[in-house]
Amino acid sequence: MNQPAPTRSRQPSSQGVASLERMPAAELGEVLAQLERILMGKSEQTTLALACLLARGHLLIEDVPGVGKTTLAHALGATLGLDWTRVQFTSDLLPADVVGVSIFNSHNQQFEFKPGPVFTSILLADEINRAPPKAQSALLEAMEERQVTVDGVSHALAEDFFVIATQNPGDQLGAFPLPESQLDRFLVGLEIGYPDPATERALLEHGDMRADVASLEPLLDARQIQRWRKQCDKVHLSSPVLDYIQALLLASRTAGTGLSPRAGLSLVKLCRAFAFIQQRDHVLPDDVRHVFPALAGHRMTGHVRSGHQHARELLQQVSMP
Amino acid sequence: MTQVLPEKAAAEKGFRRPTGNSRWRKWLPDLGQSRGTTPPPAMDARTLFALAILLLLVQLPHLLHLPPWVSLIGATLIGLRLVLLKRPDYPLLGTILSPASVTLLAIACAWLIRVDYGYFIGRDPCVAFLFILVAAKFAEVRRPGDATMLLCLAAFLLLTQYFYSQTILAALVTLPAVIALAHALAILRDPNNPAHTREQLKLVITLLIQGLPLATLLFLVFPRLPGPLWSLPEDAAASTGLSDSMSPGSIGQLSQSDAVAFRVEFDGAIPASRDRYWRGPVLSEFDGRRWSVSPRLLEANARFQGEAADIIDYTVTLQPHNQRWLFALDAAVSLPRADLPSTRLANDTAVVTQTASTMGTDQTRSGRQRAGKAMGRLMSDGQMLATSPVTQVLRYRQSSVLLDTISASRQPPDSTLFLPGTNERSSRFAMELRQRLPSDSAYAQAILQHFNQQPYHYTLQPQLLGDAPVDEFLFDTMAGFCEHYAAAFVVLMRSVGIPARVVTGYLGGEMNEDYMIVRQSDAHAWAEVFIEGAWRRYDPTGAVAPSRVEQGLSAALPDDSFVPRLARLDKGWLSDAQLRWDALNHQWQRLVVDFDNDTQDGLWERLGLPKPELWQVTAIVLALTGLWCTVVLGVPRFSRSPMLADERSWQRLCELLRRRQLVRKPAETPAEFLQRAALAWPAQAGRLHQLQEQFANLRFRALSEAEQRQRQTEVRQLLTRLRWSLPGGSESLTTNS
Repeated sequence: MNQPAPTRSRQPSSQGVASLERMPAAELGEVLAQLERILMGKSEQTTLALACLLARGHLLIEDVPGVGKTTLAHALGATLGLDWTRVQFTSDLLPADVVGVSIFNSHNQQFEFKPGPVFTSILLADEINRAPPKAQSALLEAMEERQVTVDGVSHALAEDFFVIATQNPGDQLGAFPLPESQLDRFLVGLEIGYPDPATERALLEHGDMRADVASLEPLLDARQIQRWRKQCDKVHLSSPVLDYIQALLLASRTAGTGLSPRAGLSLVKLCRAFAFIQQRDHVLPDDVRHVFPALAGHRMTGHVRSGHQHARELLQQVSMP
Repeated sequence: MTQVLPEKAAAEKGFRRPTGNSRWRKWLPDLGQSRGTTPPPAMDARTLFALAILLLLVQLPHLLHLPPWVSLIGATLIGLRLVLLKRPDYPLLGTILSPASVTLLAIACAWLIRVDYGYFIGRDPCVAFLFILVAAKFAEVRRPGDATMLLCLAAFLLLTQYFYSQTILAALVTLPAVIALAHALAILRDPNNPAHTREQLKLVITLLIQGLPLATLLFLVFPRLPGPLWSLPEDAAASTGLSDSMSPGSIGQLSQSDAVAFRVEFDGAIPASRDRYWRGPVLSEFDGRRWSVSPRLLEANARFQGEAADIIDYTVTLQPHNQRWLFALDAAVSLPRADLPSTRLANDTAVVTQTASTMGTDQTRSGRQRAGKAMGRLMSDGQMLATSPVTQVLRYRQSSVLLDTISASRQPPDSTLFLPGTNERSSRFAMELRQRLPSDSAYAQAILQHFNQQPYHYTLQPQLLGDAPVDEFLFDTMAGFCEHYAAAFVVLMRSVGIPARVVTGYLGGEMNEDYMIVRQSDAHAWAEVFIEGAWRRYDPTGAVAPSRVEQGLSAALPDDSFVPRLARLDKGWLSDAQLRWDALNHQWQRLVVDFDNDTQDGLWERLGLPKPELWQVTAIVLALTGLWCTVVLGVPRFSRSPMLADERSWQRLCELLRRRQLVRKPAETPAEFLQRAALAWPAQAGRLHQLQEQFANLRFRALSEAEQRQRQTEVRQLLTRLRWSLPGGSESLTTNS
């Protein structure tokens, strides 16, 4: 009979207001600084790469060899304290080379699953457009589902599975360009580009930074990244910004290949992650403008470089509400 | 309350029997104790609370005039119902507030009210009963459907408040109740809307303000019923004012009050203060101590022989005094008429033309008579009587000629000569004096001189007088107030066979803005004596204390005597404020309360339009209502969401910069735009940067309401400062204006 009285008192609602705990300003700053130290003069790209990782997306880098694609993957893995693997995609690559294979164990008369390189946190898929479509799609399915199925058995991938795929500019010989539908699965498409003269000078002077990568101290761990991702989800997206995002999506559909609703969702996620990296608890229209080319470029034209150009033109046409 | 208790006990008993009589149980509140049956939907707490607040606010203005026990029962019932809301499992309370016991309580209260007032059919007891009934209904309310009925009852109870007072204050006191009424309506209309009370109040007040123009329109053009909607049986209420009899000290007492007797607006020049004799009851009957109004009065014609140009026209606004007499400057030459603004002008021009052509005596008067319906009669003793006792504020037009002599067509009645024979010393004194003097008028003058030269003095606190008050006053105490002098004068006249009578009324009046206030402290008594075929006014008070006649009460009294504050000569700011307030109330009475169908007709005339038909009025009202609704509903600015406030400020900033040739590109984000602005005006870069921060926070961040408001204030300040400090700011302002 001793029924507890229903508690009437309600705490003043704090939802939406100051929803973020203290911004990890110091840690974020350190991470960004370290990444930039390795990849000199490319803070733009490293920031976007980090945002992509926090938004649980995958990264596509399109550039000529030798500008630092691998270095970026290496630096990310080392800084964030994640293990990373590299797969060189070639024209004779088989799906099993990526996801793993079941081998018959003659000792216990059973098939055993030998996990492929995909079972890692950061996977650098180098020159993905050199592999035939079959091998490409094996990777892309793994990216989307975050699991692989071999011989009817599903194997879950790592929680923070993050793919950095690089591809050569499409006009090179012996390339299988990724179809639009596959490109849609990459959250961000980046160019790294040649360093500017001053940076290049410094690079030439101080030599390759790759040697330093091995000695880098991890600044974060997987748990902390998970926490940051949760914080990203709470970043406030006001209705004028949503209006703006919607206007951008609409405008993209009137000319050429439009952006899918999945792209729209990804844009929202990426904006939040980017705002978080800027240590803000709300998204500004400037954030949207900043990340939009990286998100939309490869989706609209199939190529990162021309896509970026196209996306920037689109930004100039869509008015801020 | 004692009547209720046995019933309560009985109800309790019936309730406690678990397998009680089913007929009984039907009347008991079902508060969930009867297990097995599903309780009917109860009124939700929010509605109940809103209704309780509404009823308390409605009750508030009534507390002034209701007996305390009625107020107490009413407020207690509401309080108990709220307690029941908090503690629904309290069995005794539920029984007290069951329909059966509340009905019994109401019946008991009806009986008590009958006992308390002595009668039941009348304004006061009926309002008291309604007061109890509304509270009782609230006490037993259970079902949500009853709320609408309670709202109607509350509105009606609120209206009854105006039976008692129609001043601005009364209107203001009902204002919170009106807001609460609208609030309760809003809750009933949309019971599931969980809006905060403050938000809802804001909405309700906005709606009320939006409704104001419509209410004004309807007030002006909605057809009025001639006369009051229903006539109430009169209640005998005591109020200050002159009475139909006078004994030593009665006017002195009245002078202690600074209540307003009536207010006067003069059409033309204002008469001098010594001429402002406002004639009231004329007292001719004397029993040796008391003076009273003659019971046999004949109606007389208002007659005036002389130039019509001397006529003073004015409008009197008389406070209710529950007697029949009306006041007019001595001597009245017209009957009091209803105040019609439109006919006033027409009438006056008629007077002027008639004066120019003829002698203009009776015709003038009859011309005046035609204007409005007469509101009273003029009696043979010069006293004006209304057709019924004045229980409400009464406004009438009146014309007078300043005369202290009224020619009489017929001989004065014998009662004006009667003396009961108690004041023998006075009679002897009068006889001796009269024999020495040649004429009646010389005798009257001699008496005035006697008052003036002998050590008589004027005081508010005369000694008490015995059986022969006039003798004692004249020869022993020699100190008195105006009624003593007037009475003694009349007795001295009557002693030598000259007809004389006491006239009471008011002397003086004080200008406040454009009208005159006559207060109870101006009450006065003087004498009228019939000499050579005419009634002549003699004011013996003037012989003793000339300053009373010239300057008013306080000038005539020694400094240490008590005079009502508002009758004093040197007034403080408080009196000033009080006079302002009085002026405001007077305007209110004139323009709002007295707005009747005649005034309404005058309104159309003033606009130069013929009086419209009913269907035309309806069409006008509908058209204007439609127009107003379009304006209110069509302007999106009226929707006040905090988001839109930021948008408005942002638009203002863009407009501000656009005027200075910095146009925002459509694709530019606020930050980019303001950075460009900072480049254009480097001196203002700091302020622009601050604005950028504020806008980013306001528009794109989730903020608490308080912070949002604070930031909006800051933005407004920043915008104002920016407007003034940007080059070209003052120029654009001047070109705008």
